[in-house]
Amino acid sequence: MAGAVESELVSEDTSETEAVAAAAVGVAAILFALSLAALFELVTITDTVAGIPMVALLGALLILLGLGVVGFGVGSRLGYVATNPRPSAGLVAAVAFSGIWFVVGGLVASQTLGLGTIGWGGVAFVTGGLAFAVTALPREDIGSTLPAGLLAVFAGAVFVTGLIGPGWVWDLGWEQSASFNAEFTIPVITAFCSLLVSWGAAKSYGGFGARGRHVGAYLLVYLNALSIIAVLFLLVAFTVFKGLPGLFNSISFGLGVGPETTLFGFTFAWPLSWPFVMNGVALLNDVNGVLPAIAGTIWLVIGAVLFAVPLGVGAAVFITEYAEHGRFTQVVEIATNGLWSTPSIVFGLFGLAFLVPRLGNGKSLLAGMLTLGFMLLPLVVITSREAMLAVPDEYRDASAALGVTKWQTIRSIVLPAALPGIVTGIILGVGRIAGETAPILLTMAGSVAPPGSQTVDVIGGFRFISSPPFVENPELLQATSALPYQLYSLITAGVGQSSSIANIEQFRWATALILLVVVLGFYAVGIATRYYFRRKLQHE
Amino acid sequence: MTILPDKDAGDLRAAARREVQRGRDFVDEADPEALVTVTVASVALLAAFVGFLAVSSLTAIPFVVFLIASGYGWFRHQELTARVLTLTTTVSTILILGLILVFIFVEAWPTVEYATVTVFGLPIPGLRLFIDTRWSPVSPPIRYSLVPMIHGTVLVTIIATAVAAPLGVAAALFLSEIAPRAVREVVKPGVEILAGIPSIVYGFIGFTILSPWASDQFSIVGQGTYLFVGVVVGLMALPTVVSVAEDALNSVPESMKSGSLALGTTDWQTMTSITLPAAFSGVSAAVLLGVGRAIGETMAATVMLRGSPGLTKPLYNVFYGNDTLTSLIAANYGDADGLQLSALFVAGVILFITVLFLSIGSQYIEARMRKKLGGAE
Repeated sequence: MAGAVESELVSEDTSETEAVAAAAVGVAAILFALSLAALFELVTITDTVAGIPMVALLGALLILLGLGVVGFGVGSRLGYVATNPRPSAGLVAAVAFSGIWFVVGGLVASQTLGLGTIGWGGVAFVTGGLAFAVTALPREDIGSTLPAGLLAVFAGAVFVTGLIGPGWVWDLGWEQSASFNAEFTIPVITAFCSLLVSWGAAKSYGGFGARGRHVGAYLLVYLNALSIIAVLFLLVAFTVFKGLPGLFNSISFGLGVGPETTLFGFTFAWPLSWPFVMNGVALLNDVNGVLPAIAGTIWLVIGAVLFAVPLGVGAAVFITEYAEHGRFTQVVEIATNGLWSTPSIVFGLFGLAFLVPRLGNGKSLLAGMLTLGFMLLPLVVITSREAMLAVPDEYRDASAALGVTKWQTIRSIVLPAALPGIVTGIILGVGRIAGETAPILLTMAGSVAPPGSQTVDVIGGFRFISSPPFVENPELLQATSALPYQLYSLITAGVGQSSSIANIEQFRWATALILLVVVLGFYAVGIATRYYFRRKLQHE
Repeated sequence: MTILPDKDAGDLRAAARREVQRGRDFVDEADPEALVTVTVASVALLAAFVGFLAVSSLTAIPFVVFLIASGYGWFRHQELTARVLTLTTTVSTILILGLILVFIFVEAWPTVEYATVTVFGLPIPGLRLFIDTRWSPVSPPIRYSLVPMIHGTVLVTIIATAVAAPLGVAAALFLSEIAPRAVREVVKPGVEILAGIPSIVYGFIGFTILSPWASDQFSIVGQGTYLFVGVVVGLMALPTVVSVAEDALNSVPESMKSGSLALGTTDWQTMTSITLPAAFSGVSAAVLLGVGRAIGETMAATVMLRGSPGLTKPLYNVFYGNDTLTSLIAANYGDADGLQLSALFVAGVILFITVLFLSIGSQYIEARMRKKLGGAE
């Protein structure tokens, strides 16, 4: 960070104590992984490992870990381990630990000892206060290890003695019943304690003090980043895994196996048959598909882009190039940011109240397009504006010095220079609106499982009429489906309404996957474009 | 004007005079023919807009006139036409926000009027929406109370913020200060992709995987908990928090960080005592925007909740989930009409106003921070 170059001025050998602390972090990591596995039911807590019950094993490991960290802290305090701790572990740690111990004390007093409100309140205050004192008053090496280590030892003891065993249940006793059982509680407590202890151990590894805090904090921050990426990976991988069988159901290649298409009077058959993408839903289909929804999504995106991009880029040109910076640009900025954060369902309501009565008085593709266009507009304005502001003023000055008018400067200098940024913004915005469900739910949603014959054909739908507005397109004014809406209706429809779909579960997952592929496809293209242009700029 | 202090009023008057003078100069300088063209185009567009508002079938005629006039202007007087057209697009952006405001308010009014309560002889419209707790649109007495849904939204938002704020700020810190370049190139697009996953896909996974799992784990009757909707929504709000907070952290001048590091502090000390305090307002703006996202999140809540408006018992029971403001709209718009539909618009108004205030508040905070840091440089 900050362009600083790290260099080891003093290099110390890895001492045995550091190795012990590192080992403690390692054991904590194993415990953490184990508890996650138990939470996701990959391991059951009633299992035995080498003859020892799983719960007892977890408890024993926690006790070992807790004792190790406490021992490290005490050893450091007594001078057996060379560290450079501060006088106190600090207020943040003290508040955190007192909160944790407050909860522990309160729960034990009220649930195990059965004390009343005053009783458990008193006990909780005593334990919380003690934890605060133990953390804040002694030197840092005691303050940051003792409360964490003791908590792990306590939890471990509870597990080992069987106070919380595999059959443990805590009924909350609420009218709408809910209860904690062992399968959830034990892994969560274990994970929490191991996190806490590994933080303490990481601090010890750094020898407390500024460096110890640095190591402890980095451990947590890295873990956080790692878990975000892990969640993302899990979500995507899970959807892909569940969706693939349905998506590629009876796909076949070869000359003339696919459906026939007529383009410019020339009929040909696709060399690929992909039923899920090329069929609608019908009773006689071997494999049902989502072609109408795909076509609907494509037309939605096209319509929204045609509406929002000229408006958005125009507005961005005006406020960056023409308008003087003042009240008016401020209002525009607030309005676009306000539009950007407006909830999607509100856009849906607006479309329902404003567009639907004016466009054929029924849900229609056109209303959906415009509603999504309204949503896309602020994104286009914001990103185009940023891209244009990033164009150096020297370009404009140089152009103006040639005696060129302002609009010519904009057209031939500013817009081309800002184009990569604008395009990237549009692509990312399109990715966002392509996955939106709420607005189209209220403005264009059609039948739950449309047959292939209901695929919209906007180009073929235009015809001229004799009365105003002289051009009409019934396809645009018809309710239709789109991928996100199709997924929503498949979830809520239940079995009865979509009985013509044989394997509804597979069909749903495949729909989710294809939606994910379409949306993330836009994102991937957008991110890659940005990456490409940034590299190009850097190389110039 | 009278409520403004004299000085402000004077400033405004002077500014108005300047604008009028500028406008006069502009008209004097411009080519008369070009002026006529853009005037025709503007009037035609205005007429088309009015026609559209009035649901007239003649809307197309002025619109065609607008297209012809602006097309002509584009070829003959591009300079002026471009300027007027871009001004039109800017105005239409503001207009859309105004239209949203007006239309959802107008649609919401009947129910607000219906729920009038007289307090000390003073009729207060809409009060019963907030003091009653019953939502019963079919069986009499017909009541449209939004209290249960507001309660649900508040619970979900609190849980989502508890997830998104600490994790998001930590991730932003990681991306802007800690991560080595190669790691950042992986994590940053990852966070963006997390933002890209459609909310219905989150909802679908929540509905098919998380909800049954939660019912099983916590022995809940039926499916749908505010707790796990909150967790999922928090995950969705996370990318917003990360990207805005990261921008705020990046805007802290490099010289401040270097100065601290030169004193021999560790990276972490610099972050906690220089970077985070300096960027504090920007980071809190990020959290506010994340809260706004969480409030407005619709599909996950609709799919994962039970859709039966009512308060949970006890009120802090997060292991049960009835309805939020957003899911109420999405689940009921289909069979609602009359007052009930109007009640849905009231929910929309509450959402819109709350989120708009959050957005404006966070913009204000950000602007102040930019000013402060700019002055410190």
